[in-house]
Amino acid sequence: MKRLLYNFRQLWLEKLIFRLVTVYLALLVVLVLVLPWLPLPFAPNYLDLNHIFQPPFANVQGAGAAHWFGTDALGRDVLTETLYGARTGLFISLPVVITSTFIGLMLGAGAGFFGDNQLRISRAALLLSPLLLFPLFYFGLYLPLHIQQYHLPASYMWLSWGTLALLLGISWLLHLVLQRLAWFRYKAAFPLDMLIIRVIEVVSSVPWLILVLLLASFMPPSVMLLSLILIFTNWTHTARLARAEMLRIKAMPYMEAGRALGFTDARLVLKQALPNMMGPVLVAFGFSLAALLTLESTLSFLGIGLPPTIVSWGRTITGIRSNTSAWWLVAFPGGFLALTVLALQTFSYYLRLMLQNNSKI
Amino acid sequence: MRYYLLKRLFLAIPVLWLLATLVFMLSRLLPGSYAAESILQEGNGYYAKGSAADRATAYQQYLIRTGQHLPLFYFSVSSGATPPDSLLRLLPEAAQHNLQQLAWHIGNWQEAYTFWRTLQELQLHAGPAELQALAPFLQTITTTTNVQQRVEAARAIIKYDTASPLARKLYRLALKLQQQHRLSFMIPSLRWHGTANQYHKWLTGILHGNLGNSYRDSRSVTDIIVETSANTFWIIFISMLLTTLAALELSIKLMQPRYKQWRKAVMPLLFLIDSIPLFVLALLLLVLFASPAFLQLFPVYGLGYGYGGQTRIEQITHTLPYLVLPILCLSLAHLPYLVNQFYNALSAAESMDYTRTARAKGLPYGLIIRKHMLRNALLPIITLLSDFLPALIAGSVIIETIFAIPGMGRLLVTSVQARDYPLLVAIVLVVAVAKVVSHVLADICYAYADPRIRYQSQA
Repeated sequence: MKRLLYNFRQLWLEKLIFRLVTVYLALLVVLVLVLPWLPLPFAPNYLDLNHIFQPPFANVQGAGAAHWFGTDALGRDVLTETLYGARTGLFISLPVVITSTFIGLMLGAGAGFFGDNQLRISRAALLLSPLLLFPLFYFGLYLPLHIQQYHLPASYMWLSWGTLALLLGISWLLHLVLQRLAWFRYKAAFPLDMLIIRVIEVVSSVPWLILVLLLASFMPPSVMLLSLILIFTNWTHTARLARAEMLRIKAMPYMEAGRALGFTDARLVLKQALPNMMGPVLVAFGFSLAALLTLESTLSFLGIGLPPTIVSWGRTITGIRSNTSAWWLVAFPGGFLALTVLALQTFSYYLRLMLQNNSKI
Repeated sequence: MRYYLLKRLFLAIPVLWLLATLVFMLSRLLPGSYAAESILQEGNGYYAKGSAADRATAYQQYLIRTGQHLPLFYFSVSSGATPPDSLLRLLPEAAQHNLQQLAWHIGNWQEAYTFWRTLQELQLHAGPAELQALAPFLQTITTTTNVQQRVEAARAIIKYDTASPLARKLYRLALKLQQQHRLSFMIPSLRWHGTANQYHKWLTGILHGNLGNSYRDSRSVTDIIVETSANTFWIIFISMLLTTLAALELSIKLMQPRYKQWRKAVMPLLFLIDSIPLFVLALLLLVLFASPAFLQLFPVYGLGYGYGGQTRIEQITHTLPYLVLPILCLSLAHLPYLVNQFYNALSAAESMDYTRTARAKGLPYGLIIRKHMLRNALLPIITLLSDFLPALIAGSVIIETIFAIPGMGRLLVTSVQARDYPLLVAIVLVVAVAKVVSHVLADICYAYADPRIRYQSQA
């Protein structure tokens, strides 16, 4: 971590472009946060039906205020839409990237660290845990959801979860009993690596955009559901990276030293390995965020996944399809989007360059 | 070699099967279907003029025709209070919800179903005037979760029409239900459906090469895909060829010392293009080259039809102008990545001994790159190209939508919007198979590029 900060400072001092890009990204975050309090002449989604397809920088009579970036087919102010589009884009992408990076990091690091025969679980637990999946799903999810859907008294929900807790308790006792038998006590290897690799293979057997389009078609358009879909499809990149990094780090002398000192697995992973793979993961984070911003606006451009009431870059850009001469509908939001993506990619690019150079020395 | 490739294809089957099954299950499990939207809603689609009963019948016939009335899987596990699929699936979604709600509150689906049927019959036999008068009570009795309210509503119906045996029966049942309040919905029940289920039919269909019928126009999915995939194939094929050649030439040029000045200009430019999302790039080109506001060099939408001549050459010359912009977009968007990777691959080969030897021999640098370095950098390039195909397929979704080209990508978007699941599942399968095939092709190319590679079957 210290080295990462050091790298960062060095880049800041040496590269003018890196400084520029960092300042741009910081300003963008500030802008997105304070946007609702900025004195913009028009609210987002405000329809100025008297001035539709207004070209930018035109002097308009009777609009109350000037539409600096023009208006779209319903008279929505493109400047406001562009700024709020940045807000939507970041508010969706950032939590998704953070969550999916976390999930990917955990699964990938776990797969790399334990491999196929490092993680050992007693046969009793190995047999009981799949059996528990059904009650977990039935009492933990299916019943509560239906109780809510069919307006049954809320106390039944607690009853359902109580039953689940009871079943978990019973299986714990059963586990303790089974542990007394030698055959069940034997710790068998759990093929974690293979399992995770297979899942990654299935998720990435279809291009990202197509998978997201497909999953979005099953659900009603909503920000929450779309975020879940994006998380579900995006963790694989980080997982692959984290797995590869973990395989590299596992062979390092300091891991061996830690093992010789009798550190637990958790300490080895969390305190020794993870901080040392933060650099590549951070680089991937930047690229991933850029890719998500692009994907989010592509989806809203296609009109899939996000409700049409939500302001976004893609929604504003869609307006061009009804009037191909309204270039400002593409130029401003598209330019802002491209600039942000460029900034993120440059940031990650320099960081990667620095990490590569430093690791060579 | 052949054995190895067959084995690879064979190993891909479990992944494909798992993917297809997951997609199939998700598409059928979640509520909201094409039929419910287009047939049942008032003032919508072909059935707008018909009465509610007509629409319900049309809906049922539609479900049976498309096989959607069957249970989903070989078995199902649900709450004991849930009515079986054979009853539930034929009902419209709102009715399903009402009946389910009643059944869950009572804890016994048989009794819930008797009550619900009586209520339906009462509504069916009632005259229009009667229906209007009873509407608020009927509304209460179908949606309420309160036992007392239900009984009171039934009593009100009896008061309106004391002679009706159905109303009496309804009241009696409501009273009977009053006493019951069971917890039996907590207990799961396992139901076995056998092979008469949607999944089985779908899977056996696929094994026979039948991907099902589209929900929208009942045409065979295979026909639709064969029809549209030709356009997509050509777009992808030509842009792949174009991008690869351009990237190769460009990276070879950039490698040479005399183009050093170029490198400083071209690399940042490529970086800039790389950051422009594909759909923005496509729209910018569209605005610049195909809009009346700027230059109108190319036709904008579609592939142009009706005009196409008799011979193949006439057809091609007719459709070519329509394809120029889409292919250009797709190639330009993917060029930076490829150039960068090719450049890296060539740079790695540059530091090798054989390059130094070739230089010492006095070969011109261009020849060294083409004859020596390129041949050795082929392996990473092949890997790149095989990974490049999925990106192009995803890109064609965007390009075809923007330029309104009747291809598979546009088909995907329209089927997502219409929730045409058989078509969606089929497209995803085709895309996944294309990916597998591209990897196998890459394997074959490896062997050709580097004769040292032999695929031995290690048993």
